[in-house]
Amino acid sequence: MFVLIKLIQSLFGALHSEGTPGQLAAGIALGSILGLTPLVNPHNVVVFALLVLLNVSFAGGLLGWALFVPIGFLLDPLFDWIGHGLLLAPSLRGMWTSLYNTPIVPLTNFNNTVVLGSLVFALLAFVPLFLAARYGVARYRATVGERVRQSRFYRALTASKVYNVYRMFRP
Amino acid sequence: MSAPAPRSPLPAPRFKIFRWRAIGPLLVLLVIAGVLWWIFADTIARRETQKVGTQMLGAKVEIQDLHLDLKNGDVTIRGLTIASPHEAFKNLLQADEIVADLDVVPLTEKKLIIDRIVANGLRFGTPRQTDGRVAAKSGQGIAGRVLAETREWANQFQIPVLQLATGKISIDSLDPRRLSTIPAAEALGARADSSRRAWQAAFDTLHLGPALDSASATLERLKRARATDLATLNEARQAIDRLRRARDRVTALERGVKQGVAGLQAGLAGLDSARRRDYAFARSLLKLPSLDAPEIGSALFAPGAIKPFERVLYWTQLARRYMPPGLLPRATTGPSRARRAGEDVRFPKERALPRFLLRSAELSFFLKDTQRYAGRLTGLASDPALYGRPMLAHATGPQLTAGAMLNHLRGVPVDTAGATVGGIRLPAFQLPGLPLRLDPGAATAQLGFNLDGDTIHARFVVRSSNVSWARDSGFANSTIGDLIWRTVSGISNLDVEARLSGELHHPQFAVRSNLDQAIASRLRAVLGEELAAAERQVRERVDALVNDKVGPVRARVNEVQTQAQAQVAQQRARLDELQKALEQRLRDMTRLRLP
Repeated sequence: MFVLIKLIQSLFGALHSEGTPGQLAAGIALGSILGLTPLVNPHNVVVFALLVLLNVSFAGGLLGWALFVPIGFLLDPLFDWIGHGLLLAPSLRGMWTSLYNTPIVPLTNFNNTVVLGSLVFALLAFVPLFLAARYGVARYRATVGERVRQSRFYRALTASKVYNVYRMFRP
Repeated sequence: MSAPAPRSPLPAPRFKIFRWRAIGPLLVLLVIAGVLWWIFADTIARRETQKVGTQMLGAKVEIQDLHLDLKNGDVTIRGLTIASPHEAFKNLLQADEIVADLDVVPLTEKKLIIDRIVANGLRFGTPRQTDGRVAAKSGQGIAGRVLAETREWANQFQIPVLQLATGKISIDSLDPRRLSTIPAAEALGARADSSRRAWQAAFDTLHLGPALDSASATLERLKRARATDLATLNEARQAIDRLRRARDRVTALERGVKQGVAGLQAGLAGLDSARRRDYAFARSLLKLPSLDAPEIGSALFAPGAIKPFERVLYWTQLARRYMPPGLLPRATTGPSRARRAGEDVRFPKERALPRFLLRSAELSFFLKDTQRYAGRLTGLASDPALYGRPMLAHATGPQLTAGAMLNHLRGVPVDTAGATVGGIRLPAFQLPGLPLRLDPGAATAQLGFNLDGDTIHARFVVRSSNVSWARDSGFANSTIGDLIWRTVSGISNLDVEARLSGELHHPQFAVRSNLDQAIASRLRAVLGEELAAAERQVRERVDALVNDKVGPVRARVNEVQTQAQAQVAQQRARLDELQKALEQRLRDMTRLRLP
C-alpha cells in the first residue's frame, strides 16, 4: 500500500513539479532502463548515478522504473531472443570475445541474453520514449494539469510526509 | 522631463545540466554500499556459492561459514555439505574445512582461478535429515536435464522380474485399444456389409425378372404352339438367347461373389493371425524373463548394478556440459532470479584464462570411520582447451585405489575412471522378486568406466566372502520362496559382475553372479508349469476381450457369403431350368438338334 501511495505521489509530484517537461521525460526515459533491464546489474548503478547527478526529474525516474518493471517482465522472452541473436551472431563473435576477456567488462553481465537484449532494447527505446513523454507531460500541463492541482485529492497527496522527502530531490 | 530609461532585459535562467549538490548523497550512498559489502561480503559470498553450487550440481549445497580474505586471496569454507542428487536423505560429501587460494586479479574478468585447495575431513555418503535433491525434483537446468537423461538411459536396463515369492505372475492391465484383433474385426464387419450391399446392387442390375418372366410366358406359348408356328419358334429361340446372356451375367456376378467371399475368408484368417499377435503382445506384458542363468543374474542384480554406472554417467555428462572441448561460444543457463534467467554465453579466447580453473586440490577424507585417506585433483577447468591438460584425480589409502581422468582437450572427449575399494560395508538390499534380503557384509567393490565419445565400456564388480541372507517373513508360506531360500541360504560368498559396452544410447548390459546357476535350475524346475498357466491365462484374457467382437463379425461374414451364394445359385438354377425346358420343347417340336 505504501509503495502504491508513493508511486501515486511520485506520479503527481513529477507531473506538477517545477521541472520542465524535458527534465521529467528524461527522468522517465532513464527510469525505463531500470525497469526494463534486470535490476541487479552494474549498468543500473550508472543509470541511477545519472538520475541523481543529471538535472533530470528523479521522480520521473522512479515513475519510469515503476511503469516499466512489469513491461520488462512481459518482454523478457523478446529480450532473451534479441540477446541470443546478438551474442551468437558470428559477425559479432570477435567483439564479444574481446569484451569477455577484458577486465571489468564481464562484471556487467553483458554476456547474459536477457541483460544484453533488454539493455539494447531500452537504449533503442530511450529517445522515442523521451520524446513521447515530453509531449505527453506538456499536453497534460496545458490541459488538465491546473484542475488537478486545485483538486482536494492533490492537496491531500502533497500534504503527506513522503512528499516532503520527494521534494528534496525534485529538479 | 526625461523619458524613463528602458528596463534591461532579465538574464535568461542558465540551465544546469548537473545537479552538483547530489554528489554528496551519492557518495554517501556509495560509502554505505561499500560498508554493507564489507560487513556482508562473507554472507553474500556464502549464499551465492550455495546458490550456484546447487544449480550446477543439481543437489543442495550448504555452507555453515565462509570467510573471504581478498587481500591474501584466501577463501575458507567450513561445514560444507553437498547433498546427493540421486538419494533423498544422503549427502554426496561433507567437508569440515576447505581453504582455497585464489588468484585475485582474474576476478576482475569474472574468472575464478583457484591455485590450490586444501580440503580436510571429507566424508562421503553421510545421512541427512532433509531431501537435498534439487534437479531430480525440478528437472530444470543443466543438472536437471542430465539427470533426466541418465535416468531414462538407466531405465532401459530394468529387467522385469517374476513375482516368485507368491508363485503368481502378475499380468498388467490389458488395454483393449492395443489389441489388433478388435479393429481388424470391425474392419472386416464393415467390409462384409459393404460386400452385401454391392452384391445386392449387382444382383438387382442383372434384371433377371423380366428375362425369366418372358421366358416362362414363351414356354407356355410354345407348349400350345404347333410346329409350323414359326413366329413362336423364333420367339422361343430369342428367349433362349436372352436366358443365355442372363446366365452369362449371373456367371460374371458369381465370379465376383466368389472373389469377394475369398477376400472375406482371408479376412477371417487375418483375424486369427491378429489374435495370435495379440496373444504375443499380451504375453509380452507378462515380461517373462527366460530362466537361463545369465537372465536370472540380470533379473536379480541389474537394478542394483546399473546404479553405479548411472551415477558415474551423470557426473561424466555433467562434466562434459560444464567442461566442453573446443573454443566455441557456449551458452549455459543464466542465474536464477525473479526475471527470466536467460542464458550466459561464454567466449573462451586462446591464451586467456578459462572461466573457472582449479589448478590443484589436496583432499583428506575418511571412508571407514577413522581411517584417513588422501587424494589429489588437478586441472579442473571450464575450458580444458585453454588449460591444455586433462583433469586428473587420484586417491589412495588402505584398501583403496581410485583414479579418474577427464580428457576434454580434443573434439571427442574421453572420460575414464576406476576405483577399487576393499573392506567396505555395502548396504543390504532386497533381491528383486525374491523374498530375500542380501547383506553383502564387508565387500570389495571395483568400478571401471570409460566413455570415449559415445562409446562406453564399464565394469562393476562386488565380491564378498561373508554374505548373510535374511528371509522376508511376509512370504513364509511360499513354496517357491522356500525353494529359493534353501538354494541360496547356504551360500556364503557373493561374486557379482556387471558389464556395459557399446554405443552409449543402447549398450549391451550383462550381469552375472555366482547365484545365477543355482537359482536358475531351481526356478526352471518349479516355474515351468507356472509360466504355462500364466500363458493360458493371458490367452483367456485376450479371448474374453476379442470374442465379443469377432464372433458376430464371423457370423455376419458367413451369413453374407451364404446369402450371396444361395441367391446366385437359385437364380442360376431357375435360368438353367427354363432354358432346358425351352430347349426340350423346341427339340420336341422340331425334332432337330439345336446347335
